[in-house]
Amino acid sequence: MPALYPRKTPSARRERESYTQCVITLAWPPQAADHTDPPGVAVTIPRTPNLVIRLESLGVRLVDRRRGDRRWVLHGLDVTVPRGCVYGLIGPGAAGKSVLLKALAGLLPIEEGVVAVEEVNVAAASALELEQLRRRLGMAFQNNALFDHLTVAENIAFPLRRLFTPTEDEVREKIAERLACVTLPGFEGRMPPGLSGGQKKRVAFARATITKPPILLLDEPAAGLDPVTSQRLFDLIRKDVKASGATCVVVSSDLDRLLPICDRVGVLVHGELLFDGTVEDAKRSSDARVYQFVNGLPDGPL
Amino acid sequence: MKNPMETPPPLTEHDAFLVRLGRVCIDGFEGGRALSSLFLRTLWFTFRGSRPKGATAHEAFEIGNKSLGFLALTMGFIGMILVYQSAVQLGRLVPDYTMVGANYGELLVRELGPTIGALMLATRVGAGMAAELASMVVTEQVDALRLCAADPVDFLVVPRFLASLVMTLMVVVLSSAFAYGTGAVTAFIAFDVRFDVFANLSLIDFGDVMTGLAKCVAYGAAIPICSCHCGLEAYGGSAGVGRATTAAVVLSSLAIIVLNFFISAGAFLVGL
Amino acid sequence: MAHSDSPSLVRRLGAGTVETAATIGAMLALLGRILARATPKRFDRRELVRHLEFMAIESLPIVIVTALFTGAIVVIQATPVVQRFGAEGLLGWGAGFGVLREIGPLLTALMISGRVGANNTADLGTMVVTEQVDGLRALAIDPLEYLVVPRFFGLVTTLTLMTVFSDLLALFGAAIAGQALIGLSMHGFYNGIAGGLIQFKDVAHGLIKSVAFGLIVALSSCHFGLATSGGAPGVGRSVKASVVTSAAGIFALDYFLSFVVP
Repeated sequence: MPALYPRKTPSARRERESYTQCVITLAWPPQAADHTDPPGVAVTIPRTPNLVIRLESLGVRLVDRRRGDRRWVLHGLDVTVPRGCVYGLIGPGAAGKSVLLKALAGLLPIEEGVVAVEEVNVAAASALELEQLRRRLGMAFQNNALFDHLTVAENIAFPLRRLFTPTEDEVREKIAERLACVTLPGFEGRMPPGLSGGQKKRVAFARATITKPPILLLDEPAAGLDPVTSQRLFDLIRKDVKASGATCVVVSSDLDRLLPICDRVGVLVHGELLFDGTVEDAKRSSDARVYQFVNGLPDGPL
Repeated sequence: MKNPMETPPPLTEHDAFLVRLGRVCIDGFEGGRALSSLFLRTLWFTFRGSRPKGATAHEAFEIGNKSLGFLALTMGFIGMILVYQSAVQLGRLVPDYTMVGANYGELLVRELGPTIGALMLATRVGAGMAAELASMVVTEQVDALRLCAADPVDFLVVPRFLASLVMTLMVVVLSSAFAYGTGAVTAFIAFDVRFDVFANLSLIDFGDVMTGLAKCVAYGAAIPICSCHCGLEAYGGSAGVGRATTAAVVLSSLAIIVLNFFISAGAFLVGL
Repeated sequence: MAHSDSPSLVRRLGAGTVETAATIGAMLALLGRILARATPKRFDRRELVRHLEFMAIESLPIVIVTALFTGAIVVIQATPVVQRFGAEGLLGWGAGFGVLREIGPLLTALMISGRVGANNTADLGTMVVTEQVDGLRALAIDPLEYLVVPRFFGLVTTLTLMTVFSDLLALFGAAIAGQALIGLSMHGFYNGIAGGLIQFKDVAHGLIKSVAFGLIVALSSCHFGLATSGGAPGVGRSVKASVVTSAAGIFALDYFLSFVVP
């Protein structure tokens, strides 16, 4: 069987870079020979200036601890996110939404396909490339992931201090600006365990955006909050993201509040992308599962 | 070809046993590989890392100063118990208690001080480290660290490793001295052995001190590596943190007992 | 934060004493409530057998490893002493005495505390923080009777049985080490043990201790499990507190029982 990913010399790689698109003929389910090639070694990332995130045939396999074997969580996934877009990623529980976000940030081993974030293939990136990518990437986690032993100010400044070399004045100024933006002025010295759920979520958002990243990944930015706080947070996200012109992927199960702020939406069900398009199209989708999920109907195929 | 997303059919009883047996072997091998890999990465980052200043000192305080009371308590009791038991035992043969202190001192330096002390440290420090790290893993704090180009091994494991290397020795020496004192008091009260007779260090030679030191260093390295491994491997909410903490106590205690055997046997065989 | 305005030493000592007293009191109260629920009529034998099976199987591998290695270490450390007296026949006696009276029960208790006790705390703690215990109460099921009593008796029984088992294994390990290191035959080793210097009361001494250790491990693991609060980090803290208290309790009890029990 011919190798699907022929190893390319650097000159061949340069040659391919001029192509506007990259054709990957990857059969699903993967043939046994697929695993012998390192993932995405020879695949070059084409120049597509209007797309920030491109996933092609993404496959992520994670260890199912209860069964002790590895199972595919995502497979054969193709997603594109245009520049400056707020992309809502929705779907029922255990669909792989959080896994997809972590794959984008290079936090998970990717077995197959291409994860092109700003022309860096995360699936085959070196440590240096990943670090460079992460300077342009902000992420807020589902569980906030605030460091308990650091103050709010130190938490927010953490990415800035680690990834850049700012002066102390700059750091202080940026922290104050971020805290004012998330309407928590004066919270610099507080410790995260003493904050309420909404305050923690806002601090997490401030930390994700302190470096003014062109790409923002938000995992459940308002989970477990009351409707008022939640609405305020989504409005804040929309305003802040539009002001900075960042490309943003938001995962949330609060569709009523998420959909109005999205430019595009993707519906992920059981590791498969069922829909990718505008919010209006999603609401009128011909796919029964997408229609049911987006409109929140109790009866249907899901 | 099968769709990989499908769950495989359930196993029969016979298969299940073989699968479990195989899994135990694979897990054991994988665990050993992961532990050694963590150890090597820790050593690498010890010299190359970019962790914040003061982290090691903070961990040293947590490991050393905060465990000293607990160690002194347990070692104090073990000192009294051992002197009493061995003197009773000796009394059945020859009621001559003059050498109790000398033998006890030697045993304390080469065996009991390091091993019992390290077992207590494994309980207290190991459980603490694993609980902390596992909580950080399940609340995604470790992912956030990695996102900021801060390697968890560099940031979390190396300070604990360095602090434990130093503080295990310190705490063991101090608490052993305390155990020696309680032993002397017991011998005086229960068997009328005078303090100057008890404080006979003639049996402690270079080999004893070296064996004790080697044990302290080995345990000091093993406790943080085992515990941090368990902590970083945690998954699945609060149940996962509990599992990781339990596993850390067991793994570090087992590591101490196995290391103790090999170091003791090695010292015996080379005649130290 | 408590440590930012660090209180005076006296205040901290006082707070520590009060806290220790409160823990001991709570554990004694728990013991009383457990015993009150241990009447034959209310006792769930099926649950007990289930826990016993689980605890014993869980702890078997580590007990085997610990006992064999410990037996060997006792011989390694006793050999120079015995050789100094020039009486290698005494090795079996020395190892047997040390293992049966002291090392066997002590190390088994420490390992079971780490394996079963900590697991117990983690289980109960998880059930508390995920509100499963409240769920039981809402169903008018007494959590103590349903969750704690079987675990308590399961743990005490497991520890006692495991001590017998590990005593035997440790003596076996000691015999192997004696043969390998100083060439003392297994026969000679067992002569040393069975030669009359070790009496039944030495074995009983160890077993009485192991029952007491079982009580303290079971009590502290159940107490800290039920007292868990504060989500996933809280479970970790509870497990740590439980193993630390068990270890301190084991040594303290060991000390008093060494004098009291003949």
